[in-house]
Amino acid sequence: MEPIRSVYEDDPDMLEIVREFAAELPDKVAELERCLEAGDLAQLQTLAHQLKGAGGGYGFSPITEQAASLEHALKEGQDATVLKDRTRALCEVLRAIEVPE
Amino acid sequence: MNPEVPNPNRVLVIDDSEPIHKLIIVHLKREGLEVTGEMDGQAGIERAIADKPDLILLDIDLPDVDGFEVCRRLKENPATRDLPIIFLTGTDSTDSKVRGLDLGAVDYVTKPFDQVELRARVRAALRTKRLQDILEQQSFLDGLTGLWNRAYLDRRLESELNVARRYERPLGLVLVDIDHFKLVNDRFGHLFGDVVLQGVADAMRAQARRSDMVARYGGEEFAVLLTESSLRAAVYVSERLRASIEGRSFAARGESVGVTASLGIACTDDLPGEITAEELFNAADTALYAAKDAGRNCSFLNDRGCLSQVDSAEAGSLPARRHSD
Repeated sequence: MEPIRSVYEDDPDMLEIVREFAAELPDKVAELERCLEAGDLAQLQTLAHQLKGAGGGYGFSPITEQAASLEHALKEGQDATVLKDRTRALCEVLRAIEVPE
Repeated sequence: MNPEVPNPNRVLVIDDSEPIHKLIIVHLKREGLEVTGEMDGQAGIERAIADKPDLILLDIDLPDVDGFEVCRRLKENPATRDLPIIFLTGTDSTDSKVRGLDLGAVDYVTKPFDQVELRARVRAALRTKRLQDILEQQSFLDGLTGLWNRAYLDRRLESELNVARRYERPLGLVLVDIDHFKLVNDRFGHLFGDVVLQGVADAMRAQARRSDMVARYGGEEFAVLLTESSLRAAVYVSERLRASIEGRSFAARGESVGVTASLGIACTDDLPGEITAEELFNAADTALYAAKDAGRNCSFLNDRGCLSQVDSAEAGSLPARRHSD
């Protein structure tokens, strides 16, 4: 996947918190994967919901889109295959996030 | 002391997501706003009650009580009922927007929010808050003199007593009643009476510090609430006030008319135990009646139920209070 950059990276006030946000993402990926494996769907939904709300605000609209799609699947009670696909898609987006030094 | 309505600028964010708090802080600092935050509903309610922010940004999905319930409780509590709330919603559903607005919220912002839109909605809510603050203040002002009115005196007396108790600081109250005001009205007319009331109000404003609160709480009755003031300081203010009122003259039909006033003083320091606003007020009122009985144009103080007349010469020699604070 192509690197994903924040639309706010040229805004000095924003850049600092965008970096902090991006630094937390590896932990989010680990937690998403853990929840999926453990079948902790409630926590998975909370994570998806929070990423949906914050991603676009930090200038990463693909995070919001993928997280919304996962949240939607969870709310609809979709089967394990769909949840697995969408969680993986979200994690892929999170891994592609890149912030300039 | 003089009523001024400050620009509302304190925003409370109640949201369970740390990244959302950080985002809002960056965006709202650009508006020159002060932002505080809480991570769950219960803490948010407590903070709202304690801080009385000018605006609350409230997330709907909170871990403990949801945003709708937080809103309902804030609107139920007289202390927080009038605080404007903007909902932060994670969904685009019309139902939840309508539900939030019907619960008393002023607006909603959908997450992820556009910063320009968020800032514009916050500005709009704060503009309305300022008008609301001005209206509220108007309802606590006396139209004739521009001083605070009885309703505000009652409210401030309660809140200043709480502060005085919490920080163990004395609180003084001086009640002022113009002598034979009815005779002045009967002889020179009510319009002249109004001029006298305005003149006495000016005298009181001139003698009070910024931190003091001056009110007209009845027809010819005034009060000064002195924060962090000992009985000695209250005595000093009272005598200066009395002399300043006595020293004024008013022109009526070509003659110069003067008025005097009787004053009653009480201070929390000199009353036993935890006293209520009513007890402090009654203590000063009893002293005021004693001043009337003693022939008027004098100050009496109520020191633990013991009434004594203030010696003008002695009071005048007390060190002046700082006017800078």
